Amino acid sequence: MTISDTLLRVRMLTVGFPNIHGPNEVVKSLDFDVARGGALGIVGESGSGKSMTSLAVMGLLPKGAKRTGSIEFDGTELTALPERAMRSVRGDRIAMIFQDPLSSLNPYYTVGTQIMEAYRSHRTGVTRRQARNVAIEAMERVHISDAARRVDHYPHQFSGGMRQRVMIAMTLSMEPELIIADEPTTALDVTVQAQILDLLAEIRADTGAGLILITHDLAVVSEVTDHIVVMRDGDLVEQGPAERIFTDPQEPYTRMLLDAVPRIDDEIGLLRTVSTEEGR
Amino acid sequence: MTGETLLRARNLVKEFTVSGGGLLGRSGRFRAVDDVSLEVAKGETLALVGESGSGKSTTARLIARLIDTTSGTIEFDGREVHALSGKALHAFRSEVQMVFQDPYSSLNPKHTVERIVTAPLAYQRRPIPGGARVFTGALLERVGLNPDHANRFPAQFSGGQAQRIGIARALAVSPKLIIADEAVSALDVSVQAQVINLLRRLQDEEGFSYLFIAHDLAVVRQIATRVAVMNGGRIVESGDRDAVFGAPQHEYTKKLLAAVPRIRPEWDAARRRNEQARREREEAL
Repeated sequence: MTISDTLLRVRMLTVGFPNIHGPNEVVKSLDFDVARGGALGIVGESGSGKSMTSLAVMGLLPKGAKRTGSIEFDGTELTALPERAMRSVRGDRIAMIFQDPLSSLNPYYTVGTQIMEAYRSHRTGVTRRQARNVAIEAMERVHISDAARRVDHYPHQFSGGMRQRVMIAMTLSMEPELIIADEPTTALDVTVQAQILDLLAEIRADTGAGLILITHDLAVVSEVTDHIVVMRDGDLVEQGPAERIFTDPQEPYTRMLLDAVPRIDDEIGLLRTVSTEEGR
Repeated sequence: MTGETLLRARNLVKEFTVSGGGLLGRSGRFRAVDDVSLEVAKGETLALVGESGSGKSTTARLIARLIDTTSGTIEFDGREVHALSGKALHAFRSEVQMVFQDPYSSLNPKHTVERIVTAPLAYQRRPIPGGARVFTGALLERVGLNPDHANRFPAQFSGGQAQRIGIARALAVSPKLIIADEAVSALDVSVQAQVINLLRRLQDEEGFSYLFIAHDLAVVRQIATRVAVMNGGRIVESGDRDAVFGAPQHEYTKKLLAAVPRIRPEWDAARRRNEQARREREEAL
């Protein structure tokens, strides 16, 4: 991969919560790239450090966290940016979608107001009317019907799937180059999940934005991403093209994970697990 | 269906009163469970699947008699459940046990494992066979936990272990039916696989039945004998597992199955070939 093909280049990324017992690292020396227009899946179980990785890239780590290593986005070293400059990268060029859209939306403002605010905070000299049109257009793009009316509705007036669409609309209005989606469909029903995953694929095809999809669900990453990073306890277990990870996993942990996933269309038998971990 | 019928629910209806929102809102009746009939045979697993709001959990609560029906009948082991009182109700309460989704919130954090798993017996004022210590140790072993951990508290266990404690508690009173309400949904995939295997092994050993409530069709396929699909408070389709998964009849079932994310079967096949080759290489060394 040449430099110009690489949108995000992460090297030796380490995140720790130092305390008197030691550095307490939750992400350890991670290296990965996201290609321009590419889709990277970061998979792992709870405690793997996958969410901390995304927060580290966004510069949104909780207080007390210590981040080292390099995060190069489109040639800019993000770890060296002052908070003010980072704020304009965030949202404007890198956008994030979270698992729970309700807690990411303010219940006291209409969804339109929130999309408009997000848009105006990253664009100077935009009138309210222009921002409102952008909001309606973004809602139409995520297939919220009757967007011109629903733009004035409050978050509680939307279903879980529709709220996630609102979040994606907010993201879209920024025209980001990279979208980081952290378990975006985990809280949703399976039919709604399928719609949101289709929507993400459609947006990528339309805008050419890169995607980092963080999830515990191997079936979801297999459908959405072209490159996969497997994490466990803060370590990168293995990474490679999706097809290689799924057809020829090199690490015992990856093989165990793949064996443990119940299949909808494969043989039924004893699910293989690591016997030494029985009772974990 | 093979085997004797353990549970027979007929025309179950559950309505809730909902207060209308806003000034002009009127309160009305919301029908969460709408004319549901189902049967569970001895030793089998009936999976009740559906999305949020389908009424599957409310149906489970009706059957466990945690809430009252609006109308309909539930017959368990030949007796009408909602007519039970006194001793007969006590007996029913131990014959039907529930395992919940969140293991931590369903276990009292201030009680030791021993107190938790013997609580159903204490509540029934039944003697503990062999004494609490021995009884708890044996139960913990059956669910794959260290019998020496009887004096620990729930917070000292991982999510998968805590769910095993919930299962041990259910087993303590030798139930005939275990209602598992999203019992493996919150677990990591590797832990989930272990708990599914455990649930299957325990059923093989004890011969009890499961009413398995779940939204995850791939999990259901691993454990169900029969499947009932719920949508909008109704069962839209039910049948043997392979029939429902292999040749779904109802449009909603088809839509649900089509929406399940899946790892490409050809990738799985390639992986099996590669693993076979790896094993052969390793054996040749």
